[in-house]
Amino acid sequence: MTDAIYPQVRIVTVRLLNPETVERVMNLILATEGVRRVILNGPRLPPTITTGPAKGQPNIHEMRKTVKMGEQEVEMQVHVGTILLELENRDVIPAIKAACAAGFGEMQWYLQEGRYMKTDPSLVDYAKYGPYADKAIIGMADPSSKKGPTIIQGIK
Amino acid sequence: MAYKPQYGPGSSIVAENRRKQMDPSKKLEKLRDISDEDVVLLMGHRAPGAAYPTAHPPLAEQQEPDCPVRKMVVPLDGAKAGDRIRFIQFADSYYNAPCQPYQRSYVEAYRYRGCDPGTLSGRQIIECRERDLEKIAKELIGTELFDPARTGIRGSTVHGHSLRLAEDGMMFDMMQRCILDKKANMVKYVKNQNSEPLDKEVKVGKPLDEKWLKAHTTIFHSLVGTSFRSDAEYVEYVQRVHSLRTKYGYVPEE
Repeated sequence: MTDAIYPQVRIVTVRLLNPETVERVMNLILATEGVRRVILNGPRLPPTITTGPAKGQPNIHEMRKTVKMGEQEVEMQVHVGTILLELENRDVIPAIKAACAAGFGEMQWYLQEGRYMKTDPSLVDYAKYGPYADKAIIGMADPSSKKGPTIIQGIK
Repeated sequence: MAYKPQYGPGSSIVAENRRKQMDPSKKLEKLRDISDEDVVLLMGHRAPGAAYPTAHPPLAEQQEPDCPVRKMVVPLDGAKAGDRIRFIQFADSYYNAPCQPYQRSYVEAYRYRGCDPGTLSGRQIIECRERDLEKIAKELIGTELFDPARTGIRGSTVHGHSLRLAEDGMMFDMMQRCILDKKANMVKYVKNQNSEPLDKEVKVGKPLDEKWLKAHTTIFHSLVGTSFRSDAEYVEYVQRVHSLRTKYGYVPEE
């Protein structure tokens, strides 16, 4: 279980974000060096067409791109609408706000404090990761996905 | 006294637009030209120029039973020829799209013969004989019922009507059937409604501006448009319907 001592924030924008915007903002946020964990939320962009006569064909989508966060390349699997962050401490929040203001430009956004990440492993997490799972990865990626969470390198 | 339909309650601009769209005596404003070939490409039921596949022999070749109703009801062109039943489906964004699923079904039921409109929560389908459907689809896409950015032609995977818009103002589409060409400010369909890639792009026009959308929408939206509660007449009507249904079920006798 994740200890609740680490503050969590969520950043919500008025529009769904292009991968280039996510890359720009995330690199500014990660440069504050106060972020422990990140979840990018939004509607999914499947790699193949899921229904209809074209089922199985590749789904060409402008928003499904590979972006670089720190030194790490991350493939966008969602059209990002919400950024969830777990921080080292509350002192970093003003720096996060400054990073958002710089990164989003004229787009409207807001930042809220609260608890947004999974705190307890669910049955599916138990089935996937077992009883001794690393608590830090619970809720970080879809348990049914073959890909796990990404560890971002080169930001400190 | 002859019955005169009222089409709907309300004193707001949204209510006025709803009545205007539903009333068949009022002509829908034509905003864009779309060719017959493009409509066929967007729907993806047959190749442009191909003959209409048939579901049954033409009515003239069939032995019709001696039925007074059949004599009274004039068949559509497609029914006469024995066309298949095909469909077109739309998804309309909450963000001031010019039409919306329930409204679409009312509009089509009032304006077109021989079609089968069906509303689901986020999408609306209309089924009809193929050649008649093409005429209807052309009107639905070419007139004020359609906005290239806020309305999507989507056969399946329609998700997006209730989501925030993308940065360029387009409604979310998991399959990205249409893209906005920023240079030309033109929306182009690159996949048909079933997400099959198109051989050529189909241009459906420029996205309409916010001011026009706000003035022509049929969706109440408290943040970006006209709020439902600002229309006291509409609220009163809905409350009356709710009250009568709750008290008397389907026998609303006061």
